[in-house]
Amino acid sequence: MIDLLFIGTSIGFFLLAVAYTHGCQKLRGGSND
Amino acid sequence: MTVPATLQIILYFGVLLLITKPLGAYMARVFAGERTLLHIPLGWLERGTYRLLGVDPKEDMKWTTYSVAMLMFSLATLLFTYGALRMQGFLPLNPQGLDASQMTPDLAFNTAVSFTTNTNWQSYSPELTVSYFSNMVALAVHNWASAAVGIAIALAVIRGFARKNANGIGNFWADVVRATLYLLLPMCLVGAILFLAMGVPQNFDPYTIVTTLEGGKQTIALGPVASQEVIKQLGTNGGGFFNVNSAHPFENPSALSNFLTLVMIWSIPAAITHTFGKMVGNTKQGWAIFGAMAVLALAGIIVCTAAEQAGTPHLASAHIETATTALQPGGNMEGKEIRFGIASSTLFASVTTGASCGAVNSMHDSYTPLGGLVPLFNMLTGEVVFGGVGAGLYGMLMFAVLAVFIAGLMVGRTPEYIGKKIEKFEVQMAMLATLVLAASVLGFTALSSTIDLPKEGALAALNTWPGSAYGGSDSVYGAATSNLNNSGPHGFSQIFYTYASATGNNGSAFAGITANTPWYNTTIGLGMLIGRFLMIVPLLALAGALARKGQVATSSGTFPTDTATFAALLIGVVLIVGALTYFPGLALGPIVEHFQMHALTTH
Repeated sequence: MIDLLFIGTSIGFFLLAVAYTHGCQKLRGGSND
Repeated sequence: MTVPATLQIILYFGVLLLITKPLGAYMARVFAGERTLLHIPLGWLERGTYRLLGVDPKEDMKWTTYSVAMLMFSLATLLFTYGALRMQGFLPLNPQGLDASQMTPDLAFNTAVSFTTNTNWQSYSPELTVSYFSNMVALAVHNWASAAVGIAIALAVIRGFARKNANGIGNFWADVVRATLYLLLPMCLVGAILFLAMGVPQNFDPYTIVTTLEGGKQTIALGPVASQEVIKQLGTNGGGFFNVNSAHPFENPSALSNFLTLVMIWSIPAAITHTFGKMVGNTKQGWAIFGAMAVLALAGIIVCTAAEQAGTPHLASAHIETATTALQPGGNMEGKEIRFGIASSTLFASVTTGASCGAVNSMHDSYTPLGGLVPLFNMLTGEVVFGGVGAGLYGMLMFAVLAVFIAGLMVGRTPEYIGKKIEKFEVQMAMLATLVLAASVLGFTALSSTIDLPKEGALAALNTWPGSAYGGSDSVYGAATSNLNNSGPHGFSQIFYTYASATGNNGSAFAGITANTPWYNTTIGLGMLIGRFLMIVPLLALAGALARKGQVATSSGTFPTDTATFAALLIGVVLIVGALTYFPGLALGPIVEHFQMHALTTH
């Protein structure tokens, strides 16, 4: 159970980082660079 | 500073200078996909790897694709390491019978994150916690992979400056494979043989029990040390095979191995400045960056060495000789190896924290306040002297963007760097990368300095050291400050250093703090993730935006960035950003401790 919590935290962080990547892209005005 | 200390520093920088140009030029060729001599024995391995992974190395990735590939690769390897560590009891090469009871879930999370992010923070004693298999497969693999990822990111950022009107910033998979095969592999092979020749062990034997001269029993830990030691240093990883890291005679047997270690740590970070110069078509740009790094490095080394050599008023008031004589080194020798003395310890401390290495050959917690401030400040300023493999250069380029922006504000012109206009988005990304680091370091330090966790009930487990896994009893701490060996400013420095080290992906410990509790393992783990990935993403965005731009022609109004003036400006920006962001924290820790020490009110 605790293992799942830490595995979930890890996956959650990287999904957040992918969203952050898209956030940075949006900040530029949505250009597809 | 003593004469040997001065000579060692001169020799060290001399060797670095000698390495920088040939290694940097070689790296530029490798990452441009050109053939080198090493393609003859290793080319088939590169092609085979691409075929196995289904990768087209010629595919030019947009920055978003590059970023997502880097993130997914890191996530996959992190999860693999987590699983391997938790299951080490069922896996081979485990003569000591270590299992999941030592490697608890929070510690496995911390360790997997730590090695994935090139931090190599170790909340545990390796010889009591991880099997040979865990060391070699779960951990050492990351020493290679995380170093290769750092180099890949630096190359992507360089391409952002070097390319004109381009959509892509390179191929992540090709960069990682080439860094591993043509750079890390040959250098590690030579380095490991040198370490073996100096007496570093390489075996799978169970630990040896010996009878000491006094008749007591002592367990001597062994293992495949040499192969791990070399990538630990060359990849600026820093995670020790043994708990005392490079102070252990099996990791660092002599003054010569100590010097070799120092050269390994800064060799790639120094050389990549020349790679940068070659790739942007003006090697002077690389030397300007190298110069700025060297000046900052030298200043830190001199301050740290002088502070330690001066000793403390406490030693003097106790009538302990602090002057250097033929028979003793003088100064503050607490926490330092007698084999290395002060100069080799302070040089090591400055090099390991200037890079994101984190290997230590002395205990930084025992340094004088100013001596300890130098490693801390090195980490707080983003480890850009010369920095981690790849990470040092992309960190310094982030500062370069800020430097030209500030220079542009002063003279009222649109800033340019390497022929690229630095506009709103680029500055936003550079600032985002800077602020993310500060938020993590200061936020977690403040939290751990104040949080009062329960000492009883189910939540008491949040800050409990699992001593029963090592044959002792558990320690319940409650407040996060109860894990410290010292109270007052020095205790604050211990927490501040911990999160600076985690966020900066350094991994060295100030020590004096019991970090193997769920609270510290988790928060340090999050700090490492934030410091690595939430900094890299905006820098890749910066690279992507720059690559799309055209080159601006140099005019009389262009601020030259390949000169000593620019290097001086860059140094100023690194120091000002570091000082403005972290001065309150430094004032609460080492600075006030320094004044207390001179007033003889520290304990």
